[in-house]
Amino acid sequence: MQGKTRRFIYLFLIISLIFPLTTGYTLKPAPSSSVNMFFNKVDSLEDTGYAFIALDFGPQSKAENLYQAKVVIEHLMRKRIPIILFSMYTLAEPILESLAFEVANNLQKEIDGEYWEYGKDWINLGFRPGASLLLQAIPKSKNLQKLFSKDAKGNDLKDFPRFDALRTINDIIFLGQFTSLTGVFDTYLQFFKTKDYRPVFGHGCSSITIPESHIYLDSGQIDGLIGGIAGASAYEELLNNKYDKRNNKEASVLNTGVGVAQLLIVILIILGNINFTKLKKYLVK
Amino acid sequence: MEKSYFDLLIIIIGGISTLAIFSFLIKENVFYRFFEHLFIGISAALGVILTFKNFLWPKVFYPLFGLDIVTYPDGTISKEYNYELLLLIIPIILGLFYYFIYSKKHAWLAKLVIGLSLGVSGGLAFKGFFNQAIPQIVSSFKPLVVILEGSVNYLQSFNNIVFLITLLSVMYYFFFTIKQESKVSKGISKLGRYLMMICFGAFFGSTIMARLSLLVERLGFLMTDWIGAIKEIF
Repeated sequence: MQGKTRRFIYLFLIISLIFPLTTGYTLKPAPSSSVNMFFNKVDSLEDTGYAFIALDFGPQSKAENLYQAKVVIEHLMRKRIPIILFSMYTLAEPILESLAFEVANNLQKEIDGEYWEYGKDWINLGFRPGASLLLQAIPKSKNLQKLFSKDAKGNDLKDFPRFDALRTINDIIFLGQFTSLTGVFDTYLQFFKTKDYRPVFGHGCSSITIPESHIYLDSGQIDGLIGGIAGASAYEELLNNKYDKRNNKEASVLNTGVGVAQLLIVILIILGNINFTKLKKYLVK
Repeated sequence: MEKSYFDLLIIIIGGISTLAIFSFLIKENVFYRFFEHLFIGISAALGVILTFKNFLWPKVFYPLFGLDIVTYPDGTISKEYNYELLLLIIPIILGLFYYFIYSKKHAWLAKLVIGLSLGVSGGLAFKGFFNQAIPQIVSSFKPLVVILEGSVNYLQSFNNIVFLITLLSVMYYFFFTIKQESKVSKGISKLGRYLMMICFGAFFGSTIMARLSLLVERLGFLMTDWIGAIKEIF
């Protein structure tokens, strides 16, 4: 009997999640001060250096990190900040290859006559092993172009003129790091800086690690935080408000699904407790 | 953009894998087990292949064997071999020492490199800890009365007071060197425990949110990409 009830709960949950996906119905995301901080930091960047985007996630947190990275990359592309994609997580490789192309295609569809190209607007360094040792080499390097030397496809970085000025960490004006792994995030916190310089640091985390990541926002070690799909949805809303032609609510649809399912869970918890109290009274009698 | 048959096939396999994993919700079964092992195997193998393809081959073996030196038709070469590259052989040999763990007689060689890597990791962790924790400690010194533009910011002040009470009571809870016997010390300790429980509640809530996000993303994939791919093929 218990097994059957459990399966009914799963069924209810799936139906509640499917509802926004099929209808495209979206609820307005709750505003988030940490997302606003992230958005404002990216929005105030100028084309004076590079954005270093670390996509350290794979299928296990793609549902959240992918949409966060997507909105941030889109924002950077709109501002024409050259992007360097990178990962120290093996399973991120396919995401590194496809994500920026997808964002560029969407932007080209939205804005007539404007183009975003690989090698000019972004490069992909691919997965790099070495984790903390490599990250320590970045602030120490006098020539980052030489340190990374080639992109993920084996092309020489010297062949991309827009990335010719990449020399030291001071040329990186923004670091965007997306992961569900706190250990990986910690490595960036610890080593991606010099004594006198740290780029603007925005972090995208999964819902599970929001409480852990918030302490770094509070201490000023990061400048903005996107938490879970709700954060991605809030960022998307800010983009929709800023750019009139944009009307993509991809993250908001997923966020609405999560919201509806959570409401269902709360209702089930209340019903379960009422039932439990009644049962207890009956047994006492 | 048109998808090739290969892309469509990948999407269809992805959908079948997702459904096989979801089948666990009904009960443990052979399809679930098969696709679970498949995922673990692919993850492990991909790591090895990418490390070799992106790092060991282009950065170590290719230059070490002098394969990046081109000989032109007139017999001249693109560059001289850099003999400093031979130094790479030392870490390669040290790395191979790990495999002596399987030999009873020579296991000490493996212990040598394990000790070395433990020392390096310890040193890095030590350095990293200070880089990470010092700003945390500094930021825990907060004014209890926040004055902004000449007037008291009550909300921020309240926030800082809550922060301080939480910090001290939780730290006190983990203070095991003195007996917490008096009513006051027991009360502080209890407060610390309750505040931690509130934090764990937040953790649990956010964990549910993350799991639901994963589920909704997979459902979205099944309903749009997967069904779309099936329709396109048939």
